[in-house]
Amino acid sequence: MTRFTAQRLPVYAALAASGLIAGLALGRVEPIALSAPFVLALLAIVTAREPQITARLSLDRDRAIEGEDVTAFIDLAATGGNARLELLVPLPAQLSSPHNAARALLLRDGEPQRVELALRCERWGAVLVGPLLIRVRSPLGMRSWEAQVGGRHSLRIYPTEETLRSLVPALDTQVFAGNQISRARGEGIEFADLREWQPGDRIRRVNWRATALRGSLWVNEQHLERNTDVVLFLDTFAEVRELARTTHLRAVRAAASLAHGYLQRKDRVGLVGFGAFVSWFPPQLGMRQLYTIVDHLLTSEIAESYTRPGVSLLPPRTLPPKALVIALTPLFDNRIARALLDLRGRGYDLVVIEIATPEAAEPGDDASAPLAERLWRLSREALRWQFAEVGVPVVTWREGEPLAVPIEEVNSSRHLARPA
Amino acid sequence: MTTAAGAVAAYGGVIALVLPRAGAHLVELAPGAGAGLALVLAALVTDGRGLGVALWLGGATYVAFLVAAHSGIDGAAPLVAVLLLLCGELATWSLDERSRMRTDAGLIWRRGGAVGLLALGGLMLATLSVVLGAAPSAHGLVFTFLGAIAAIAAAGTGILLARR
Repeated sequence: MTRFTAQRLPVYAALAASGLIAGLALGRVEPIALSAPFVLALLAIVTAREPQITARLSLDRDRAIEGEDVTAFIDLAATGGNARLELLVPLPAQLSSPHNAARALLLRDGEPQRVELALRCERWGAVLVGPLLIRVRSPLGMRSWEAQVGGRHSLRIYPTEETLRSLVPALDTQVFAGNQISRARGEGIEFADLREWQPGDRIRRVNWRATALRGSLWVNEQHLERNTDVVLFLDTFAEVRELARTTHLRAVRAAASLAHGYLQRKDRVGLVGFGAFVSWFPPQLGMRQLYTIVDHLLTSEIAESYTRPGVSLLPPRTLPPKALVIALTPLFDNRIARALLDLRGRGYDLVVIEIATPEAAEPGDDASAPLAERLWRLSREALRWQFAEVGVPVVTWREGEPLAVPIEEVNSSRHLARPA
Repeated sequence: MTTAAGAVAAYGGVIALVLPRAGAHLVELAPGAGAGLALVLAALVTDGRGLGVALWLGGATYVAFLVAAHSGIDGAAPLVAVLLLLCGELATWSLDERSRMRTDAGLIWRRGGAVGLLALGGLMLATLSVVLGAAPSAHGLVFTFLGAIAAIAAAGTGILLARR
């Protein structure tokens, strides 16, 4: 433990010395009497002993969802006398304490204590809690000892998911069974068309009403039920931040919601983090994939770089043919725009969800500021137009809106869309 | 707030023990005492800076009063000493409690008890020194012995402090 002495120690020492010197110089006892209590206080400092404190920090769980409360347990014990103990749990930005994270308590010799501290998970992320900062003070506070104890504990805070009643359907399905109605015809449930009976057709597929009308055997055709491949394309080049609100936070929340929605309906979902560092998870099925994706999203962050990665960096199985690619981006960086247009050029079914930036500040007093702002808005319009030209819907997800709004917007614009 | 008020009251007590007895020297002593009080208030309002100077000014004002206006041994010296110590301790306590920290009630009583004990001990020690100082010189072996012990204790404290 690091030892500290109170700031008043030199003051008291100076007062005591002044009194003694004045007493000697003046030949009077009163200045000496004046210094007597301060000498006693100095003796109290000298006799203060360092207490032995043991502390252990633990959490009631290691995974939580945004908005939930997690309890931190701090087990404390002192040997070598009672101690005034001040403890502070340094909290990362993702956590807060509804009460105060700093506590001062009396720790009695040989009586272990357990302190419970409620922590509120404010926003998603993979965080480390601890170590504890403790400070032990002597009864008069003239001596103190400080240390970091208790180790670090990881806590994964998962983002809350948006409620989505519908999802963007892929234009093409894959070959595996699923919940999506394929354009192809075969054994299924949804009626597709009628055709004349051919050798090999089952009797139960015969449409008896059409057969009676036409005088020859006619059978029903159904759409196949297949799954789709969805790749979430997360822009990690740039973000727009205003206080604690960032476009990246919302993009991650949207990605987690979409991954959960698609995996629930038996689609395969993959993830590409595209930025200074390119990361990928090929499309897979199931809850395990959901946790893999969300765990990766928790640690994703924006890193500044001047690299110009291209989509050709990605392994082919990360972007399977006929996959629906949903890009989540504030469209702030030309590199992501170039990569997305490249994907479209390769024939992928692409949807861009533009994460709207927090309301931009008013242009400054500079005469050229309004012009600059207008140019900036025009350049963004031009970028959206570029996507529209190649048949890519760009929908804006504004702050405060549910994610369902841009999803419905895409769906309403895609009902007549066909594969490229 | 209570401790801050206590610190101001203690310093006010020192002034009350000095100035009313200063007589003709009131004008010379009042600026020092006033400046000390202002420094205590400033220390309490800010982060404690100036508190040491304020205590020193209080002591110096009292010594100046002794030199200028008081002959013989002043029986109020132990009280002045303890009031100065209380002023320092209560002001520091007030500053310590400013941090937004949940504090157990037991700790307040514990520190209050410690301050009280220190003040009581200081009062006894100061009274003892005044009583010893009041004894006529060459009064016997006991007083010489006590004086020697006091000197050794003072030197020992100094050495211990320096070593730590």
